[in-house]
Amino acid sequence: MSSDVDVQKPLLLLRPGRSGIVKVLIENQYAGKLLALGVLPDAVVKMVRKAPFGNVFYIKLDNHQLAIRAAEAESIIIEEII
Amino acid sequence: MIQHASQPIVALLGNPNSGKSSLFNFLTGLKQKVSNFPGVTVEKKIGKLQLENQTIKIIDFPGTYSVFPNSLDERIVIQSLLNPQDFNYPDLVVYVADATQLERHLLFAAQIRDLDIPMVFVLNMADLLEQNATKIDNQVISDFLNCDVLSVSVREGLNMDKIIEAIQDNLIHTSSENRKSLFRLDRVEEKVAHEVMEVIPCKNLYQAKLIAHHNGWIDFLSGDQKNKIDIIVKTNDFADLRGQIRETMSRFDTHVSILQKAVTGKVSGKVTLTEKIDSIVTHRILGPVIFFVVMLFVFQAIFSWAEYPMEWIEKGFAIGGSWTARILGDGWFSDLLVNGVLAGLGGIVVFVPQIAILFLLITILEESGYMSRVVFMFDAIMHKMGMNGRSVVSLISSGACAIPAIMATRTISDKKERLITILVSPLISCSARLPIYAVLIGFVVPDVRIGIFQAQGLAMMGLYMLGIVGVFLVSLILKFILKSESTSFLMMELPDYKTPLWGNVLMTVKKKVESFIVGAGKIIMMISVVLWFLASYGPGDNMENAEESGKELSMVNKWSEQETDNHIASLKLESSYIGIMGKWIEPAIRPLGYDWKMGIALLTSFAAREVFVGTMATIYSIGSESDEKTIREKMSAEVRPGTNEKVYDRATSLSLLIFYVFAMQCMSTLAIVRRETMSWKWPAIQFLFMGVMAYLGALLAYQLMS
Repeated sequence: MSSDVDVQKPLLLLRPGRSGIVKVLIENQYAGKLLALGVLPDAVVKMVRKAPFGNVFYIKLDNHQLAIRAAEAESIIIEEII
Repeated sequence: MIQHASQPIVALLGNPNSGKSSLFNFLTGLKQKVSNFPGVTVEKKIGKLQLENQTIKIIDFPGTYSVFPNSLDERIVIQSLLNPQDFNYPDLVVYVADATQLERHLLFAAQIRDLDIPMVFVLNMADLLEQNATKIDNQVISDFLNCDVLSVSVREGLNMDKIIEAIQDNLIHTSSENRKSLFRLDRVEEKVAHEVMEVIPCKNLYQAKLIAHHNGWIDFLSGDQKNKIDIIVKTNDFADLRGQIRETMSRFDTHVSILQKAVTGKVSGKVTLTEKIDSIVTHRILGPVIFFVVMLFVFQAIFSWAEYPMEWIEKGFAIGGSWTARILGDGWFSDLLVNGVLAGLGGIVVFVPQIAILFLLITILEESGYMSRVVFMFDAIMHKMGMNGRSVVSLISSGACAIPAIMATRTISDKKERLITILVSPLISCSARLPIYAVLIGFVVPDVRIGIFQAQGLAMMGLYMLGIVGVFLVSLILKFILKSESTSFLMMELPDYKTPLWGNVLMTVKKKVESFIVGAGKIIMMISVVLWFLASYGPGDNMENAEESGKELSMVNKWSEQETDNHIASLKLESSYIGIMGKWIEPAIRPLGYDWKMGIALLTSFAAREVFVGTMATIYSIGSESDEKTIREKMSAEVRPGTNEKVYDRATSLSLLIFYVFAMQCMSTLAIVRRETMSWKWPAIQFLFMGVMAYLGALLAYQLMS
């Protein structure tokens, strides 16, 4: 896994402005609600910005926006779009 | 279909931000009532709609994402939908979906459809589709959900009459044909569902599966039924969390193909107006600055706009009181009516302007979509203190008055976060503490300047800061003491910005004011009457003696009639039950530097902090007409018996100030906490810990200073 392509990582590690494709939701506790909010496998998600005091992230999906905490962003495994 | 004996019930259901409540306001107008679902503080909005031949009951349920609830609000909704015997079980669901967010909003609709509840599917915000050059083929969705589908715009008033027609039609022709479920249960789920149906009759397998899934918290099953279902779940290794995810994913898969057929011309990926606004409003530095300015405005508004109406209300009640007293003449009944009942009523109504203004502004911020940005920005800080991003709004509003602030915590869905916010909010210095600060601060800090600042102003700021420090400490402690019932999470939508609908805003304000008057009013009234009794009566012939000795003193000193009255009032207060109690608690408050006179004021100001000043006026026989300045002069002239030491020296005054920073001296707040937490336990705990903080703080201050 040396190349940048196909590297899966938590959404938490995506830099602001970058996008990724949702692969798996690894935390069952959060998965149900995330799905209901439209964080679905194969959906494109963009990391928009970090909250002023950290720990919370502003993300954008196809046509709506969400605020999620770091722990929640960590449970969303994505593949970065290079 | 279950026929409700009286009126058919139509439930409005849909995701949050679907425009459901606007539709509710449109359908029911002013004919609506807000109450709580039994045993919980989840708002239940009921209205009536007159159709051609019958009146129907419309319930606006809280916004819900799916049949797998994540909050108390959602649980209440699901519980009502799973139990056909439920008092709120609908005969017809009007499902409201945002046409621009159909992918997500279709989920809950499909689940309701599988529960076999008749439904009308309303595609709201159809006007926005045209703007985006998108088209939705209603027939495809109608075929899929097997129900009527309407395109409307509640905001623009588009096709609204069709909704009423559809309700009318669907209440008459309810097709209870056995429709095929949109979702296939797997083998285990099917087996579990069949076994559950032997414990409790269900409409179909899907309903039975959900009952098994939610067995842990639904309240309509008997203990025996719960045990049986529990065994079914365990023996079949029914993995509910995985099942939930499988169901949701499988439904979304189906919906993707349905929407491919139904929706044309959809463009995605362009930068929207909302994104542009958010790049400023939620900016790392600008965001908090803008928020601070907005809150400063809200705070100012509560303070200054409410000032005049509050004055009028106070004057109005004073005039009403003296008028009543004149008509009824002297006597206990007139006194009870004027100083007990009317004073209590005045004490309730006087809060209405502040509550109305705060909720007017908060609702505007909420409806426009700004409030969720506030949560986004401040959740990190508040989460550290066991609260939620939304708590910021309550804490800031507390600077004006804790009552509307505590009422505003309803938007916090996590129980623990909400409770902590409710418990710490009154520690923020409210406007009622100001008169006390104003009277006492002069005894502590001289009227000098330090650089460009006024020393007294700085001291005032220090008192406010002290309250904020109290919030930090107490919330941190509560965070560790209180146990959490569920994992805390944030995950929330940041809806697109939109102009608020004024009808909705005013309706919310009206409901908040009503719920305050009805909910807290009774308790405030009761305490007010009790306090009146304690201050107007004394044991034996105490009161007569007080009047007698007042008259004798008057003869000796040749007082004017007004002076005599003032002295009699003072002597009477001293001889009353509350006066005796004030003397009785003197040993307890002496270490704080207080005498029995202050003891009396502490007790009477439990009604409301500002009463402190009025009581001081009575005790020092100034009469009630006088202003703060005379009271201050009297107080500063007071010396300890037999000495030249001033009673209101620096130590005692500072001790009093600190006492009022922390003490829960407000029956109205306690009443609203009792209403919002549904028990006396929390207001009692709050009263105690704030009392302890006040006592220890004051003790420390006095002992260090004297």
